[in-house]
Amino acid sequence: MWLADLIGGVVVLLLGLAIVFFSWQLSYMSEYGPGPGFLPRWIGFGIIGCAIVIIIKILRKQDKTGAFFKPRTKMGVSVLIQIAIAFLLLPLVGFSIGLGLFVGVSMRTMGKHRWISCSITAVVTAIAIHFIFGHWLSIPLPTGVIGW
Amino acid sequence: MDLLHNLYIGFSIALTWTNIFYCLVGVFFGQIVGVLPGIGAPTAIALLLPLTFTVNPTSALIMFAGIYYGVAYGGTITSVLINVPGESSTVMTCIDGYQMALKGRAGAALSIAALGSWIAGTASVIILMTFAPALAKFALRFGPSEYFALAAMAFGLLTVFGGDQPIKIVISTLVGLLLATIGLDIVSGLPRFTFGTPQLLGGIDFIVIICGIFGVTEVFNSIEEPEEGELIKQKMRLRDLFLTWEEWVASRWAIVRGAVIGFFIGMIPAGGITTASFLAYLAEKRYSKHPERFGTGAIEGVAAPESANNAASISGFAPLLALGIPGSPTTAVMLAGFMMWGIRPGPLLFQTKPDLVWGLIASMYIGNFLLLLMNIFLIPPFVAILRLPYTIIMGFIVIFASVGAYSVNNNLFDVWMMLGFGVLGYVMKKLQYPIVPLVLALVLGRLAENSLRQALTISGGSLSIFFTRPISAIFIIAAILAYLTPVIRWGMKGLRRAKMDVA
Repeated sequence: MWLADLIGGVVVLLLGLAIVFFSWQLSYMSEYGPGPGFLPRWIGFGIIGCAIVIIIKILRKQDKTGAFFKPRTKMGVSVLIQIAIAFLLLPLVGFSIGLGLFVGVSMRTMGKHRWISCSITAVVTAIAIHFIFGHWLSIPLPTGVIGW
Repeated sequence: MDLLHNLYIGFSIALTWTNIFYCLVGVFFGQIVGVLPGIGAPTAIALLLPLTFTVNPTSALIMFAGIYYGVAYGGTITSVLINVPGESSTVMTCIDGYQMALKGRAGAALSIAALGSWIAGTASVIILMTFAPALAKFALRFGPSEYFALAAMAFGLLTVFGGDQPIKIVISTLVGLLLATIGLDIVSGLPRFTFGTPQLLGGIDFIVIICGIFGVTEVFNSIEEPEEGELIKQKMRLRDLFLTWEEWVASRWAIVRGAVIGFFIGMIPAGGITTASFLAYLAEKRYSKHPERFGTGAIEGVAAPESANNAASISGFAPLLALGIPGSPTTAVMLAGFMMWGIRPGPLLFQTKPDLVWGLIASMYIGNFLLLLMNIFLIPPFVAILRLPYTIIMGFIVIFASVGAYSVNNNLFDVWMMLGFGVLGYVMKKLQYPIVPLVLALVLGRLAENSLRQALTISGGSLSIFFTRPISAIFIIAAILAYLTPVIRWGMKGLRRAKMDVA
């Protein structure tokens, strides 16, 4: 956890430096008052200042125990990958089927439900998304190759 | 007289069949969200917000308000029956509520929670009715300097109430402000932090960020650290819900004190319902003649925090409606809703949209009454919801978040952004960077920046404008003091340690 905290602090510091760098390209003051770069520049300075304090605090910390990754983190990452794959498939299979597939697969991988229950849930979910969001709420969800 | 007339307008709107339906849906859904661990009011409202584009704003707000105070009722059920708070605002209820359940008094614990919430909620609506218009009238004097100072005070108060890592709170606030600056600058028309991406020219929509940071983040957190508890298998009959005379005597003043604490804490920007319930519990314990009973099943330990969280959820509407400043993450999400519907909450709202304001306020009487009935007669079906596998709930959250993000601009770029913010929220939570300051700063960012720039333009660039106008000076001083609180705390801790060393 100590290392993760330190990396987090460094990332925040880099973010602050990047904000200051990019806001420098925007005018700080305009003809009438503060320009578009005024607030972002101060935000950048603020983040840099806070990040330095955080990094110093972390470096002075005696207790370096605690883990960033927990036993179930792997499961969370697996769900993240499943969501990402479903999103990648959306233009091809459409919103309803893509998210229906995600629900079915995640039920199988996470909940260890039977294939048959997962398949039925996936189909019901896809139909529900199509009719509730697509028809009832009239959201123009992207459709895939089969028109759903 | 005005008040009665306004209330009449309010009830004539709230009592239409459509609005009663939305109120019922809101409180019912709120109760369910409250029961389910791992999903809170801001998440639920964020996920539903994009689906209300076409709904009448008054009806949608009535529903969202119902979810907000409904969650406070629902969270009690899991706190009492499985010792797992369905909501952060019911954490304190676990302490004595669960102990009461172990002693066979689960019914009484749930009853006093419902009754206390109803009494405190209704009292809170009555005070809100008189207080909010007065606050709005007062806020008519506000100019850009006052609005900036008010936003600065709200951000500052986050460091007081937001947790024990003030520097991380400040970073989170600054990141929220940064996100609000992305897109075309409305004064100069220049793009900021868009890096040539056309989808970013209009800025990142609140809904995309909120769906990711509340919805998807919660999914990852709940998978990694599931909140599980064992349900107390106790057959609850209707007569178990009745309180004994001793229980009522012990809790009646706790309800009053909880309501008062809740109302005031709910109004403070960044105060929120969780802080209200926490402070009410501590106050009750301190006030009690038998503080040793707390933690062993004292009914006052359930009555006070439950009354406080409901009172706070209602009073939180005062700064939102009258000033346009949200006091909690849930009201921040609602502010995003106001923006989505093209309504600007603030002092003029009471004059320009009296039907919306008074319809919403009147609906709170109805919603609280519906919740009281639900919490007396419908507890078993709500408990049954706990058996729903998390994989299904997770699926619902991902679907609503994805559809919500997509529906903003009808493009998949927003869906990916939503996922990105979900991951950001997850990493922030793991590293103990609080999310609430980011959301508050995000929704208030534009107001804060525009007010700051307008004020400095008026003053010719001099910061004295914030100190020479009395109202803004009070807010700015409060903001400075709030930011200094961690330093003062740190200094006092050092002093105490030094004293102990000498002793």
